[in-house]
Amino acid sequence: MAIEARTQETSVNYSLPFWKRKAVLHRIDMAVILLLLIPIAIATILPLVYMFSQAFTPEDQVRNWPVEYIPREPTLDSFKLLVTWPNLPIMRWMLNSFIVSTSVTALVLTINSLTAYAFGRLEFPGRDFLFIFVLTTLMIPGEVTLIPTFVIMRRLEWLDTYNALIWPAGAGVFGIFLLRQFFQSIPRELEDAAIIDGCGKFGTYWRIVLPLSRSALIALGIFTFLGSWNDLFWPLIALNSNEMRTLPVGLSILQHEGYTMQGLGMAAAALTTVPVLILYGIFQRHIIQGVMVTGLTGR
Amino acid sequence: MPRWRKLLPNYLFLVPYFVFFFLFLAGPNVYGFYISLFNWDILLPNKPFLAFGNYRELWLDKLWWLSLRNTVLFAALTVGGNVLLGLFASVLVKQQPPGHQILRFLFYTPVVLSVAVMGVILARVFNTEFGLLNYYVDMVGLPTQKWLGEQRFVIPILSLSTVWWTFGFPFLVFLAGLLNIPEPIYEAARIDGVNRLQSFTHITLPLLKPVTLFIVVTQFIAHFKVFGQMWIMTLGGPGNSSYSVVMYLYDVGWRFFRMGYASSLAFGLAAIILVVTLINFRFLGGRVEY
Repeated sequence: MAIEARTQETSVNYSLPFWKRKAVLHRIDMAVILLLLIPIAIATILPLVYMFSQAFTPEDQVRNWPVEYIPREPTLDSFKLLVTWPNLPIMRWMLNSFIVSTSVTALVLTINSLTAYAFGRLEFPGRDFLFIFVLTTLMIPGEVTLIPTFVIMRRLEWLDTYNALIWPAGAGVFGIFLLRQFFQSIPRELEDAAIIDGCGKFGTYWRIVLPLSRSALIALGIFTFLGSWNDLFWPLIALNSNEMRTLPVGLSILQHEGYTMQGLGMAAAALTTVPVLILYGIFQRHIIQGVMVTGLTGR
Repeated sequence: MPRWRKLLPNYLFLVPYFVFFFLFLAGPNVYGFYISLFNWDILLPNKPFLAFGNYRELWLDKLWWLSLRNTVLFAALTVGGNVLLGLFASVLVKQQPPGHQILRFLFYTPVVLSVAVMGVILARVFNTEFGLLNYYVDMVGLPTQKWLGEQRFVIPILSLSTVWWTFGFPFLVFLAGLLNIPEPIYEAARIDGVNRLQSFTHITLPLLKPVTLFIVVTQFIAHFKVFGQMWIMTLGGPGNSSYSVVMYLYDVGWRFFRMGYASSLAFGLAAIILVVTLINFRFLGGRVEY
């Protein structure tokens, strides 16, 4: 501390007026930057705070002005109502969301890592052709496949089941691309050593490459989970019975079907959001690094 | 051991993926085009062949052009807003003010929400009678507005909502791009007497061009497919003033069960996205020279 203070002191040029000294200028800069950034941060967070505060506000007060971010008489009434309302099996919806998102994540990690290993670390005729063939499909928007996939699911009689939501995720391309990149950065020597020790190809993949790629697998897993948890369009199409719905579909139905109680919708939104916020809190390093390094969105 | 015995395991790694790839990606792409050539009502047994009849109908369909106009307007406003706000915030956060890591965390938070959650919250924020925005508008003494109930406001408000929801993504990508610009370039410029604005326009912006291209292309593609925001906040209204292409696709396919026409609509959308992507490359592409 003392040393730092002294070096700073020696760098002060006393011939300059106070407001032109380097340290002072820096402070002014930072103050201006914060003054510009803090309103953005408040605007970012305010709607979320509003959601939670409305969820805990008694129904007869949610429409009141002035808006209270901290409810004067906080209550769990909206949540209680939501859980016991006959046509809103929200706990079942949450269970559906968990089953689907976890299965999708497991499927994507398994299939994509196997494929990325072959494309990134193995050599065989046709490899690059196949890889480029897969990549070109990235250029066609997913909307094109909605109708044919729906028709196929109908033939398979998978509509309105978990199958319809889980299996199409296995065709995802982005994870292959991401993991292939990562696998290629692992030094060859480690693999060679494993092969000398009698590891087969699958053994090398399973015992060497996967454990060394933990961070990439975690990032891909989180983004896949979030994407599946948040998806609205496909589940909306592929499901039609009330108890099969996922949370986002249930939430949109709740918004439409004349449930005029304000607290109810906000409580449902809060329940949908809490697991996501917990995940974001725990894995924020992986998520932020993932976006910055790879340009993954999580949607 | 023959060569093929040695190579076989390599191919085995690919088998599971290619099953999914053909069943749920390559197959449906081809099958979708096939469907678009028929009058394909999912509930009826016979599906008459139309050749390009669906595409001709699409060309003459006023609702398609209206939904496309709304979608283009929405996407342009949203991408513009996202890029400007993301760039602005990232340039400031890059200076590492106190608490910059918290700010980074906060700015990305809305991105992890579902569109359903975002729609439910923001429908309340912009509610006419008791919404948060009108509360503050009223507080400063301005007349309150029907934000989602008036044609002139509805698309800009939906865009604003989407910028709130997604600007964290371009923000982080821009930040990564800024951190990749070597610091000595700025120092050299400073010694040469270049001021901050000049160094921003002459160093930062040109060097960010590839990042900007990436963001603009991916953002346009993403926001052209807008559905959830309208589906939850406006249902395409008032009138059809916020009716988007994908909403139309949903109605044609799953309310009227006209799968053939819906499929041609999807290919129409794909064509538009391709054109917009090529335009973006034309204006933002090109090499960067140090």
